[in-house]
Amino acid sequence: MPALSSLHLDRRLIDAARPARAGLRAAIGLGLAGGLLVILQALLLARIVNGVVFRHQSLRAVMPALIWLFALFILRAALTFLSEIAAHRAAAAVKTALRRALLSRIVTLGPAYAAGERSADLAATLTDGIEALEPFLARYLPQRALIALVPLAILATLFPIDWASGLVLAVSGPLIPLFMVFVGQQAEAINQRQWRQLLSMSAHLLDAVQGITTLKLFGRAREEIALIAQISDEYRRTTMASLRVAFLTSAVLEFFASLAIALVAVIFGARLLHGHAHFFAAFLVLLLVPEFFLPLRTLATHYHARMSALAAARRIFEVLDTVPASHRGTAVPPSGPIALSCRALEAGYEPGRPILRGIDCDFPAGRMSAIVGRSGAGKSSLAAAILGFIAPGEGTILVNGAPLAAFDRETWWRRLAYVPQTPRIFAGTIAENLRLARPDADEAALSAACRRALLLDVIESLPQGFATRLGEGGIGLSGGEIQRLALARAFLKDAPLLILDEATAHLDLETEALVAEAIADLVRGRTSILIAHRLATVRRADQILVMEAGHIAERGTHESLLARNGAYAALLKAVALPA
Amino acid sequence: MKDMIRLLRLFATERLWIAGGFLLALATILANFGLLALAGWFLAASGLVGLASYAAQNVFNFFTPAAFVRFFATLRVLGRYAGRIVDHEATFRQLADLRSFLYARLEPLAPAGLAGDRSGDLLSRLVADIDRLGDVYLRVFAPFAVAACASLVMAGTLAFFVPWAGLALFAGLALAGLAVPAASLALGARPSREVVAIRNAMRADIVDAVQGMAELLTYNAAPAMEARIGAANDRLIGCEARLAALAGLGAGASLLIANATMGAALLIGLLLAVSHRLSGADVPLLALGALAAFEAVAPLPQAFQLFGGMAESAGRVFAIADRPPPVREPAQSPARPASLEIALSNVRLRYAPDAPWALDGLSLTIRKGEHVTILGRSGAGKTSLVNLLLRFAEYEEGSATLGGIELRAIRGDDVRSLFAVVSQRSHLFAGSIRDNLRIARPDADDNVLWRALEAAELAAFVRAAPEGLDQPIGEGAARLSGGEARRLALARAFLRDTPFLVLDEPTEGLDPLTEASLREDLARLARGRTVITITHRLAFIAPEERVILLEAGRVAEEGKFASLRTHGRIVPRLARMQEDLIHL
Repeated sequence: MPALSSLHLDRRLIDAARPARAGLRAAIGLGLAGGLLVILQALLLARIVNGVVFRHQSLRAVMPALIWLFALFILRAALTFLSEIAAHRAAAAVKTALRRALLSRIVTLGPAYAAGERSADLAATLTDGIEALEPFLARYLPQRALIALVPLAILATLFPIDWASGLVLAVSGPLIPLFMVFVGQQAEAINQRQWRQLLSMSAHLLDAVQGITTLKLFGRAREEIALIAQISDEYRRTTMASLRVAFLTSAVLEFFASLAIALVAVIFGARLLHGHAHFFAAFLVLLLVPEFFLPLRTLATHYHARMSALAAARRIFEVLDTVPASHRGTAVPPSGPIALSCRALEAGYEPGRPILRGIDCDFPAGRMSAIVGRSGAGKSSLAAAILGFIAPGEGTILVNGAPLAAFDRETWWRRLAYVPQTPRIFAGTIAENLRLARPDADEAALSAACRRALLLDVIESLPQGFATRLGEGGIGLSGGEIQRLALARAFLKDAPLLILDEATAHLDLETEALVAEAIADLVRGRTSILIAHRLATVRRADQILVMEAGHIAERGTHESLLARNGAYAALLKAVALPA
Repeated sequence: MKDMIRLLRLFATERLWIAGGFLLALATILANFGLLALAGWFLAASGLVGLASYAAQNVFNFFTPAAFVRFFATLRVLGRYAGRIVDHEATFRQLADLRSFLYARLEPLAPAGLAGDRSGDLLSRLVADIDRLGDVYLRVFAPFAVAACASLVMAGTLAFFVPWAGLALFAGLALAGLAVPAASLALGARPSREVVAIRNAMRADIVDAVQGMAELLTYNAAPAMEARIGAANDRLIGCEARLAALAGLGAGASLLIANATMGAALLIGLLLAVSHRLSGADVPLLALGALAAFEAVAPLPQAFQLFGGMAESAGRVFAIADRPPPVREPAQSPARPASLEIALSNVRLRYAPDAPWALDGLSLTIRKGEHVTILGRSGAGKTSLVNLLLRFAEYEEGSATLGGIELRAIRGDDVRSLFAVVSQRSHLFAGSIRDNLRIARPDADDNVLWRALEAAELAAFVRAAPEGLDQPIGEGAARLSGGEARRLALARAFLRDTPFLVLDEPTEGLDPLTEASLREDLARLARGRTVITITHRLAFIAPEERVILLEAGRVAEEGKFASLRTHGRIVPRLARMQEDLIHL
């Protein structure tokens, strides 16, 4: 995938902000109105001071202007309030739209895309990544529109009053962004490097902290304290060297703004002293010069918001640009017992890189099949293909003779129960976790399912029973309990097809025995496909498929395969018989 | 608050940088105030003189104020630039101090003192806390200190001209800098808490949805989950809208206060000028000075907002840092014992005064050169036995000796220097293969490292890697397979020539064939050492091996494996169960 450039991302983010256009326009409009009021305020202020001090007017004479001045203060405060709300509205609309789109795309792409190491990144993008857009949308974008509009309005005010100072500002104004780009280009590169360094700094601390026990075992833990100080020190030195350059950008802005004020004061002072200028004009220029530079300075403070928003946007659009490969059939799968067969099946997670190569096998209705093989042999991929998570590149999967690809995915899933190797416990109560399988199940049905999964005793021993909260803020279940909860879900669903990936983690023998017993009960009477990791499971299977490098190397029963003395026998010999 | 003050005391070593940053920030704000106030006065004064007689023009000192204007402008630019550099320097230094502090405090605690509270979460949270606290000076303390000092100076300056104007400025600054942020913080407390709660719940749902997607899809529950996350998003946006309105209210109020203060100073000036009690030239000075002064309090709302979260972070860090170390270290170890026999007698060990006994009257002896396998279900005391031997946990009762010397009398590092440990939890660091090996022996040259890699059967893999020994292995050894990672940990153990070897489920989680080949290497590592193997699996125990079965923190069964298998009380049952549960 080609890297998305910053400019391109900017554009796409603004496109994505289309639903929020009204809000953004309102924010910009309110900001501009605020800018115009500032000019008005300066005009009034200059008139009042000029009137009283130079034209010796009475307070009564400037009273209307004074009243207007205070009215403006209130109006400006109100505009500030409103623009904050408008900006938030705009950002909220974009955040909501992107979050929904992203989530639904991830769901469509399915577990073949979302599982594994990518999952943490996706979850982070959906939460923090989306949130990182807020300051960009609510602050940076409106402000970017204002950096041109407000200074132009100020110039338009100043030119008729004092063309010389108008000209100075008109020339120095565009110079700043130009110079900022010049310094900024360098600074941005430095900035990103520094950002990465900062991240790797805390990554290093986390690594050291997580490895404290190992360091202690090697008697090196105390040395690490000095090492942490030393590495922090090196980071500081290199980072500061680059920051000294990066900070020049803001120094340039500060330089122009301060210089302009000083110039106005000194030059106008001289002109006033010799009667070549009016105080009104001089004072007005002095009041407006800081305002001329203010929008640019505000934008500079939101520059970080843009950088982190672009980083987040890059990940968001990468996901949104990923096209789901899977088919979308509409046929309804058969309702009775299910028999599956694979014919010359080739499939994989990326097109052109099949993991399954020419699988031919049958899973007879109501029978139990065990798949064994080393990790990486393609066991999980075969399950993923049958589950419809990856689409076959070549060949077919037949369900009672009809191709699986023709079925509607949702309806196909209703016909099966899937128990993964590490079942997920969702935040919520035990009952909610069980009802995932059958939302309308009553308590009796839950109890029955848990009894068969040998979990009922555990649940009944909990003070709140089925209403016990699990996960975030709730209790933790042991590994064996989690597995039996997943089995209870499958019991509850009571589907004709069972696909089960046996846990590899070693548990207590007693617990493992309980889980094995519940699995044996669950497979009875269903078409069951088990990725098996235990001898007991394999022994009970009606057929054993031994996978090797993406194809089926051997098939048969435990006895027939042992007699054959091939791959299966070798596997058993390696693991079951002590050397 | 106590934690925050303690934090400040931690930063005492960087006081020069802190003082420098403070002075520069103060100078920058005062320079801006001076620049605008003086420029306003200068224009009006020049104008007034310009209208007066020629003689008056000659008397008027034009150059001193003009020079000061240029001085303030320069001070402003340089102060801002230097200030930012000094601030960041101070921040990085404080961050380094904090990191060293945290690590130094965690070191005596690990691992037993950190166990129990889902230590992975705890540690990454602590590291995030440290990162956040690195900013505590720059974003919280410094703004308050600078604002307080600058406010006094600026209000004092105005008061020098007109006392009432100074008072008005002081009141305005206090309102905008303290009252408004404090009020919006108080009003926002509830929606902020709600935002945090909703965000956490939504995050949990999102992680569930992404990591549990296969189950959600096959249970046809994905649409419900999407709806649930969508609803959480909407509630979140609702709460955030309330906070945004509050923020807008705060910003509007601050702006109003700043402008009104300027208006008040202007009015006071005008009143006095009209009655000739004040020079007309001082009127713009008062107005512009008052307006410029509010730059000092601009960062305070953010400082208020950060304060709560930082105080929480500081609280979390100190709560861990103040935990008493689980083991008290003697000042000096006795001479290395001549015999290396482990003898435990009636040892009782627990992790907290109110916790149940993890070891409850454990007695056993392990002679030099013996190979012993410790069996037991989880919670039986296997890990506690290792913690006891490695001085990670203190025993309260009984006696535990190494070569006749009570373990308590030997320094932990000296005890651990006698042990090599291979376990599934052996940590691999994010550096290169060489970095990871050198942890075991910092002075080892490449020949020695290669020999260790050969012994662990990893040499061919490393030779094939593009960068050889310098090949980075990634965070959490992500670029290595499970088997390769375990072999690297094994190679590290080969580098350590110790009399004792502890094998704590070293092959857990590997696929059976990898496991089988790793076992042979482990057997080679075990040769000639006293070996303690921890396991709950019986399949690989040799018949003549001595087996100790733990239950509830004490020895339940002990003897040669062959005889226990036939005559034991518990082992035969375990063996029968295990046969069927052999992992493929």
